[in-house]
Amino acid sequence: MGSYILKRLVSAIPVLLGITVIVFLIMAMIPGDPATAILGSYATPENVEKLNRDLGLDKPLVVRYFIWLGNMLTGDFGRSFSLNRPVLDEILERFNATLILAGTAFVICSVLGILAGVISAAKQYGFADKAITFVVLIGISVPSFFLGMMMILLFAVNLRWLPVSGMYAIYGGGDLPDLAKHLVMPAFALAVVATGVIARLSRSAMLEVLRQDFIRTARAKGVGERKVLYGHALRAAMVSIIPVLGIQAGFVLSGSVFIEIVFQWPGVGRMLVDAILKRDLLLVQGGVVFVAACYVFFNICVDVAQSLLDPRIKT
Amino acid sequence: MTFLKLLFRNRLAAMGAVVLGLILLLVLAIPVLPLQDPDVTNTGNRFVPPFSEGHLLGTDHLGRDLLSRLLYGTRLSLGVGIFAALIAATIGSAVGIIAGYFGGRTDNIIMRGIDMLMAFPYILLALAIVAALGPGLLNALIAVAAVNIPFFARNIRGITVGLAGREFIDAARLAGMGHTRIILTELLPNVLSTIVIAMSTTVGWMILETAGLSFLGLGSQPPQADLGSMLGEARSALITDPHTSIVPGVMIFLIVMSINLLGDGVRDALDPRLRSGALSRPRAQTIVDRKSPVPADDGNGLLNIQNLETQFHVGKRIYRAVNDVSLFVNPGECLGVIGESGSGKSVTALSVMGLVASPPGVVTGGAVRYEGEDLLSANFESLRQKRGDKVAYIFQDPLSTLHPLYRVGDQLMEAIQVHHKVSDKDARAKAVELLKSVRIPNAESRIRNYPHEMSGGMRQRVGIAMALANDPDVIIADEPTTALDVTVQAQILALLDDLRRERGLAIIFITHDFGVVAQLCDRVAVLYGGKIVEEGTTTDILDHPAHPYTKRLMACVPELGGGKRELAAIPGLPPIVSDLPPGCAFAPRCEKATEACKEGAIPLEGSETRAVRCIHPEEEIA
Amino acid sequence: MSLISLTRRSLFAAAASTALVAGLGFSPAPLAAQTPPGVLIVGQIAEPKSLDPAAVTAQNDFRIVVNMYEGLVRYAPGTLEVEPLLAESWEVSDDGTEYTFMLKEGVTFHDGTPFNAEAVKFNFDRMLNEDHPFHNTGPFPLAFFFSAVQSTDVVDDLTVKFTLNEPYAPFLSNLAYPTGLLVSPAAVEANGADFGRNPVGTGPFKFAEWRSNEAVVVEKNPDYHGDMAGTEAVVFRPITDANTRVAEMLSGGIDVMVEVPPTALSEFQGDGYQVVEQAGPHVWFLILNAKEGPFADKLVRQAANYAINKEALVNEVLEGTAEVAAGPTPPAFAWAYNDELDPYPYDPDKAKELLAEAGAEGAELTFYVTEGGSGMLDPIPMGTAIQADLNAVGFDVKIETYEWNTFLGEVNPGLEGKADMAEMAWMTNDPDTLPFLALRTEAFPDQGGFNSGYYSNPEVDELLSKARVATDQDERAALYKEMQAIVQEDAPWVFVANWKQNAVTTDRVENFNLEPSFLLLLEDVVKN
Repeated sequence: MGSYILKRLVSAIPVLLGITVIVFLIMAMIPGDPATAILGSYATPENVEKLNRDLGLDKPLVVRYFIWLGNMLTGDFGRSFSLNRPVLDEILERFNATLILAGTAFVICSVLGILAGVISAAKQYGFADKAITFVVLIGISVPSFFLGMMMILLFAVNLRWLPVSGMYAIYGGGDLPDLAKHLVMPAFALAVVATGVIARLSRSAMLEVLRQDFIRTARAKGVGERKVLYGHALRAAMVSIIPVLGIQAGFVLSGSVFIEIVFQWPGVGRMLVDAILKRDLLLVQGGVVFVAACYVFFNICVDVAQSLLDPRIKT
Repeated sequence: MTFLKLLFRNRLAAMGAVVLGLILLLVLAIPVLPLQDPDVTNTGNRFVPPFSEGHLLGTDHLGRDLLSRLLYGTRLSLGVGIFAALIAATIGSAVGIIAGYFGGRTDNIIMRGIDMLMAFPYILLALAIVAALGPGLLNALIAVAAVNIPFFARNIRGITVGLAGREFIDAARLAGMGHTRIILTELLPNVLSTIVIAMSTTVGWMILETAGLSFLGLGSQPPQADLGSMLGEARSALITDPHTSIVPGVMIFLIVMSINLLGDGVRDALDPRLRSGALSRPRAQTIVDRKSPVPADDGNGLLNIQNLETQFHVGKRIYRAVNDVSLFVNPGECLGVIGESGSGKSVTALSVMGLVASPPGVVTGGAVRYEGEDLLSANFESLRQKRGDKVAYIFQDPLSTLHPLYRVGDQLMEAIQVHHKVSDKDARAKAVELLKSVRIPNAESRIRNYPHEMSGGMRQRVGIAMALANDPDVIIADEPTTALDVTVQAQILALLDDLRRERGLAIIFITHDFGVVAQLCDRVAVLYGGKIVEEGTTTDILDHPAHPYTKRLMACVPELGGGKRELAAIPGLPPIVSDLPPGCAFAPRCEKATEACKEGAIPLEGSETRAVRCIHPEEEIA
Repeated sequence: MSLISLTRRSLFAAAASTALVAGLGFSPAPLAAQTPPGVLIVGQIAEPKSLDPAAVTAQNDFRIVVNMYEGLVRYAPGTLEVEPLLAESWEVSDDGTEYTFMLKEGVTFHDGTPFNAEAVKFNFDRMLNEDHPFHNTGPFPLAFFFSAVQSTDVVDDLTVKFTLNEPYAPFLSNLAYPTGLLVSPAAVEANGADFGRNPVGTGPFKFAEWRSNEAVVVEKNPDYHGDMAGTEAVVFRPITDANTRVAEMLSGGIDVMVEVPPTALSEFQGDGYQVVEQAGPHVWFLILNAKEGPFADKLVRQAANYAINKEALVNEVLEGTAEVAAGPTPPAFAWAYNDELDPYPYDPDKAKELLAEAGAEGAELTFYVTEGGSGMLDPIPMGTAIQADLNAVGFDVKIETYEWNTFLGEVNPGLEGKADMAEMAWMTNDPDTLPFLALRTEAFPDQGGFNSGYYSNPEVDELLSKARVATDQDERAALYKEMQAIVQEDAPWVFVANWKQNAVTTDRVENFNLEPSFLLLLEDVVKN
């Protein structure tokens, strides 16, 4: 197992390197430059040129890439000019917020999705199945940002049950209940689509598995129905559900961009959008590499979980 | 045609199709509808609420008619979504097919590239692409298509890899076809349905993504309306004039939902397994719906099947798998049930403990008595308690009948612990003992194996051990040796025979092989078309088969030491049980058949020990 | 800091008891989203880039720094006139090239270090001398405000002298601009490039904490040399999304909200809120490409001015948050504003006539529109409405929208070969700035200016050059007024709107005023 994990980690290196190249090239292709962004209305060609020189952007692309890569490998992600602080500090801080949001949403969508899918499969064609199918369909058909906007309107502005935005109350906050209150709406809005996708998949995976011979074997042994469903069938269905969880984790991470904007969540998604708009090259590059590394790492975890669950996978 | 019929049988899909159809109709009718110009502003008349005079849905922040903008916007968004899906599907599938077909290094490089794209948060990739290309709906379309290419590439590659190793591709290659031709004429047609399914499920997603980009202001250019930009522009007035947000929001919802419903329908209709309606969850117990009165207990045997009728109800069709079958078995006795596949022998066996997959299976008549108690009328809990404890099964093909993710020891322990309160330690000891009793070497270490780590023979022994776990009174063995080679088969038969003698087990042994019957069984029943056509003691039937079918079936078996004898396959196919002929089911394949054979029901005649269902028997029975 | 931890603790106790009652802490009753008294919570439009006044350029950041730092001079409350602050008085040499400031005595920075002439010199040298040891704490994008400064010299501990390379009339006004705010040299030396996150000034509030993307907190400076601040602390919350900002205001999450979206103003008309407005030196206009295409003809440029319904724009699209602009100089520069000029009236028929006369009917125009940006108000709806008006008189306008930074990258180098018109807005501190940078022949983009529409009139050039070096305000005023009349007639731009900056406060906030300078001074504000 250890060597398997190591192997997977090593194989992630070229992927991450490729990502650094892609993000670097894309950022280089984007018109507009940081100097213009910094100078705002006062960006005369002369000022821009001087500032670009100060920022080291006058060097050739390849040189800049290797300087950046080299610095990054030593842990120096550079300094964000739009925030005037080290990129790494900002990313770590923001990443924390995103992990809380996306992590909660991921837990919600995994638990609710699988639960809904299993119930739906267990009560196939029953009322619960139809109700779940319907709700899930609505869930995957609503743009998350629209849902978020509507939630703010209803729960925060009209009913005043929950705070509108942010991660902690500005005063008196900072504790867990406070975080939970702020987290409810964004996490739910973020989880809705993924919950729907996972529920649909879990349902069909369960139905697929329930038709397998080994389920009949379990029943022939006299195993109770509950254990057949939640032991034998669910465990086998997880083999096809887990990879989808991995993919959905990526979507949740990406989708957090919209949610972070709508709910003013201080996360990395919003930071990256701002950074792209401000042409904050180092921040975008560092942030994307971080997010991608997180995604790759998570996928390795998924594969490891998969291999732990399914002994047939050669490790 | 069948596709459409299947599609509309799904009521939700039909609903989706209707909603989407209506939207499309409205959108296509734009040129003839009396709509106001969507771009003419009238700032004095802004934020008019819905259902006002002249503005059915009200006006937006510049006083433009919302209904008109909504329809124009819908047209644009739909077009963009579909077009983006087409582009992504085309490029993604091409990449996927190339990677899957060529394999090796090409595959590796392409798929690593795809991995990289997937690791890049899609919305940021789209954002960066739009930032690089400049705003505009066309660029948003390109971005959305680009970020979805990996999805198609991965899906299609998976399928292509499976196909590329198949014979017809090798054949095409040997025939000297070029790569391009093989891909276009051999591979593409085979992956096309997958592409269509993937597309139908992603169009909705693409529309959402495009709306997302437009929402961020990177989509259509003013004054042009698309649903996302309408939503984005309306957002600043969300609190004061929510209708301007709700109108496009609801439209996006309707479109995406109807596309999803329709996409599900298309997937279901194209998927052959779903098409048969087979993807339903089997219940814990076969449905019993007896049309006729329950036959009275005649006191035969330990396990007594009386006039059993089991059917499969698929759509409007009824497959009569088991028709009026009566069998019984005494302690220490082995009853053979023999027939071709499709004869109803397995269904008979599974009906005993209510294990026929249901739906579609339904027991429609008869009784199954264990020690006189009708199991078909028993409630689930009492049935469950007898399963594996009193009546145990051994199934064919233990690779699929053992749970692939549990160690065999755990599966054995579970069989014990389901019925008896036994500590894990004792259960484990019992499991080892069971494995030893079926002559598995190194049983102590073998219990830690997963099924896939064992050979076929070993797995079958595990299956037998599992059946023996609770010392049952009856074992129903459903072709337990079919998947095994002859030597292993002989060992297993010997094992079962020993157990029968040692433990006084009653065995119902289901097979299509007379050779096996000869070795093990005391009595035999021959099934054809869901009916018993002949029954009697093994020696009687082997020596003097009375039914032509029995005779022909026996002729199919090579006899050990019998020298060169002609193996005669039975011409024709077993009958389709949804459409049984009124007379003898074997008549169409029978050389001796006369008109009389095809006219009416033929009774099973003879004694309890020897009976045949034939008006032209090979041998008169006593 | 003590105040905050105290408040935090007590509220934590309250929250904890609520949590006990209501499980996870979701009280079923409406959240008491009451902010504590004495603490003013301001809804900002963005996370500040830095709190180093020399490094920031955005109004958003100015709103914070002006409360923590002070300059030698400031704009007198309610005006754009310069008055003393850290300098008690100053003298200007007759030739207008030497400014000598006498500093206030006994002022200390928040870190306890004294404010003196050395500190002033440090500040300007840091910004202007490339070889200053702390020049690398920049970049200082607005350093060119002081590009006329040749040297800064310490005369004695409380006297400092600036020597200019030529007379420069806006110098005092620029000193009052946030770029002229003075930072603690000791703090810069201690924190280096991180000074922007650890700001130290002399102002009525001192820095307490900066929680990224959540809040910047400043608290009352107990050692302030002037009148004590009216609140214990001010919290600046960045809420980039206007809609969310409105929702926060409505649900009681913030006390003050700046830059209220016009569509949301009606929400705040009732009791419980007060809406504050203040016109400032802002002008929103369309740059017309006078070098090529239809707008090379003055008649067509005038036609565009007649064709656009500016009343509808300011009163309807902007819900009355702006006034119609008459010329290039906003009326907020009262002394320099030519109030004899009337805006171009909305007259589509006249526009059609002019177009016919110029033979430019059906002219195709490319119109650059931005999605947002400093002072741009509601650029897309405005652009869309303008497009509709122009199309109504016979133009054929095609919009291209760009995100702000890209937009500037496209517009600032000039419109030649790309577009016929572009939206633009400026907020300035002196009547000199905008015309000098954007209307002179020598301010063509290839010469480092912002005259992206290539307007060129030698008369205007001369008037502006004269006004810049004139030290007498009346003389300058006359020159500017003459310039405005000419420019209005030449119509190098479509003059659209002068923004009235607005803000909403809850009724618990008192003494809240907006300044014509667009700076948000909070020292007198009281929160009940």
